[in-house]
Amino acid sequence: MRLLKILQRLLAALPVALGVAVLAFLFLRFLPGDPVEIMLGDTQVSKQQIAELRHQLNLDQPIGAQLIHFFGQLAHGQLGTSIVKDESVTKLIGNALPATIELTFATVVVALLIALPVGILSAIHQGSWLDRAVLSGALLGISMPSFWFGLLLILFFAVEVHLLPTSGRISSTLLVDRRTGFMLVDTLLAGDPRAFVDAVKHLVLPALTLGVVFAAVLARVVRSSMIEALHRQYVTTARAKGVREAGVIVKHALRNALIPAVTVAGLQIGELLGGNMIVETIFAWPGVGRLVVNSIFARDYVVVQGAVMLYAITYVAVNLLVDVIYTFLNPRIVL
Amino acid sequence: MRPWKWLVILVLALLVGVASAKKLSFVLDTTDNRADEAQAIASQLQQIGVDVQVRVWKSGVLLDAIKAGSRQAYTTDWGSAYFDPFDLGIPKLTTGGRGNYSFYSNPQVDEDFQVASTTTSDAPRAAAYKDAQKRISSDAPWIFGYVLKNIEASSSSVRGWQPAADNAESMAAASVQGGNAMVIGMRTDQIITFDPAMYRDRDTEAVLRNMFDSLVTHTPSGDVVPQLATSWTKVDDKTYDFTLHSGVTFQNGDPLTADDVVYTFHRILTPGAVNGDTSPRAGLLGPIDHVEKIDATHVRFVYKDPFPESLLLQALVHFQIVPMAYMEKVGVEGFKKAPIGSGPFQFERGSLDSQIVLKRFDNYWAGPAKLSQVVFRMMPEPSTRVAALLSGEVQIIQAVPPDLVPRLQSAPNIDVKTAEGTRAYQIELNNKLAPFNDVRVRQALNLAVDWNSILKNIYHGYAERLPTAFLPSGFGYDSSLQPYPYDPARAKELLLQAGYDGK
Repeated sequence: MRLLKILQRLLAALPVALGVAVLAFLFLRFLPGDPVEIMLGDTQVSKQQIAELRHQLNLDQPIGAQLIHFFGQLAHGQLGTSIVKDESVTKLIGNALPATIELTFATVVVALLIALPVGILSAIHQGSWLDRAVLSGALLGISMPSFWFGLLLILFFAVEVHLLPTSGRISSTLLVDRRTGFMLVDTLLAGDPRAFVDAVKHLVLPALTLGVVFAAVLARVVRSSMIEALHRQYVTTARAKGVREAGVIVKHALRNALIPAVTVAGLQIGELLGGNMIVETIFAWPGVGRLVVNSIFARDYVVVQGAVMLYAITYVAVNLLVDVIYTFLNPRIVL
Repeated sequence: MRPWKWLVILVLALLVGVASAKKLSFVLDTTDNRADEAQAIASQLQQIGVDVQVRVWKSGVLLDAIKAGSRQAYTTDWGSAYFDPFDLGIPKLTTGGRGNYSFYSNPQVDEDFQVASTTTSDAPRAAAYKDAQKRISSDAPWIFGYVLKNIEASSSSVRGWQPAADNAESMAAASVQGGNAMVIGMRTDQIITFDPAMYRDRDTEAVLRNMFDSLVTHTPSGDVVPQLATSWTKVDDKTYDFTLHSGVTFQNGDPLTADDVVYTFHRILTPGAVNGDTSPRAGLLGPIDHVEKIDATHVRFVYKDPFPESLLLQALVHFQIVPMAYMEKVGVEGFKKAPIGSGPFQFERGSLDSQIVLKRFDNYWAGPAKLSQVVFRMMPEPSTRVAALLSGEVQIIQAVPPDLVPRLQSAPNIDVKTAEGTRAYQIELNNKLAPFNDVRVRQALNLAVDWNSILKNIYHGYAERLPTAFLPSGFGYDSSLQPYPYDPARAKELLLQAGYDGK
């Protein structure tokens, strides 16, 4: 039953993705700027050569015809070929996506490790110095610009104490063959523990940069929903029954308090999976965010369309996952 | 007519003149990277009574509006790869030229450019360019700007390397004291391809030129020297013959012959020849017809129209020779996965968007390189590149922003090096639209900007003023021509003549 519902929801995501792709298609073409002009840059090219290139890229067709062409390709399972880069969109996104997913995963780990204990503790000790420290810390975390925080981390951990690398995903001396695109997995598949450790080290700073902001948002939600849960009658009942305090907090209060936290985390993860252009640029992390933003500047319509479809599907999938998690946290919720 | 009538007319004329005299005001469009500069110019023009409203845009957004002729003044830049005005002055200032955003038109300048791009001997070309520079200087179609230096930095253990004006990073003669691997922090977030027919940008070329050789190459200062070609002769105005080095092999052991050279250019010049795609590089070769084999070590370049030898040579620097047999065997996709060239380094592993590891090609025809490994790491954020150089992770970094230079200079064991830039920065004026259809107004603006203080404060001295649209590194540069001096009094005078009294 649940599986069927999940399938239904997934199928419903397809028209959303298509609709979003069409919107992206139209919006991009209303942006001023000609991809061929931008691509050719400052070179001495004849008007005829420009016209030829535009024809080859299908850009001399009316928008309607371009849209039909786009759907024709899509029906063949193709997202098209990048205008600027010598590669298919599927491959470009496929190359960049694992890097972004890996960073998202590490970011979530960092965020949960910080946010859960901090949020719970400050809810239990509401109004204490710890609680106040957490609240102001969270405010700082949310307000801190990530490019600034990321550079500070690089300057301290890489340049001053030489503990971690500045950027990239792995040292050039330990580069392993690409199989899955996930550096943590590829290094393990290659049976190279040294490379694995190296890949983890490369993950730490970007994950910390993104994770601290994420944790700040999440800790506040965990704290406030925990405070609310701890004042509910079922908690009083549990305590009256003589359940140990740890049991009260984890089993009775936390489980219910997690529902808003999961919602917020889901939204954040959806955003992270889109890739963070700033953090990916600072840490030379070859992810989706950088690919998409650079493609927008280059008016590389084809890549942006593909990425926007990916974003739509990601958001729908993450929301679905959030709904599924609800049903585990509170069995009274149905899909 | 009686004298008093003349007096009345004179008084009336004066009154009309005063009434029509007005304040010059215009909108200056700029992009975020030059917003500070535009503001500084606006406040300098304010001092001679000119109102400038600065508007900041994202790059690329305005181009359509500029080309439609609906903007007044705009900061622009244009790069040149030729060390010749062929792809700078000519596209920017020929009537109807591809980059002529100022709508400048001077038939005599057009004629000079025509001579310079079709005459094949140097002396008349240089004379034509010099004549054009004088005319352009006095026509003042733009507020002429500057060229930024190309600033790079290296660990002081690096030997045999210099930044190059064309952003090449030649590792053939480079070495590192106490090591045999070099890591270069690249300014881009990704290079485009490993297929030498399918890119247009300099960053891709910087990597490819270490893996592939060309017929000729540049020294860091831009002089053309032989590489795979030992010599060349001009047969006539439309025909050039090249003699190839014999005994050159590709990294897979195949010999490099005239067939490979002809194949390389055929792929680029024939529409649809790269897996159905057309190479975006054909335009770099000018009005070429075809390239043909004479014998195993001789090839001939045949042009449709007369084409200068120096331009052909400058262009050939940028065309890397690919192995025909290997490309045909593995196909374009296979080639991109395992590229083979005849250069000093060969592809080992890596990807276009993160890092590319090259290893020494031991049978390189000019003798093996000193380094055993070269790594190009994509590091688009300048602060990260600087941090990586300071931490010792990389040995060379590209594109150091001028404001980060002092940080590097204060660090021990780091050298900051510069090469002459090849990109001209200026403010273009719409010559078709009032007020800039009046040459006096354009000249006045050139006199009213104190570039020396702007370049010193914003670019920390890593910029050089340009008298016109021609680069000092380019062919036919007139070094006797001076930039407009900073002379606000003269500027005010010219504006007054043009009917603007600044009140």
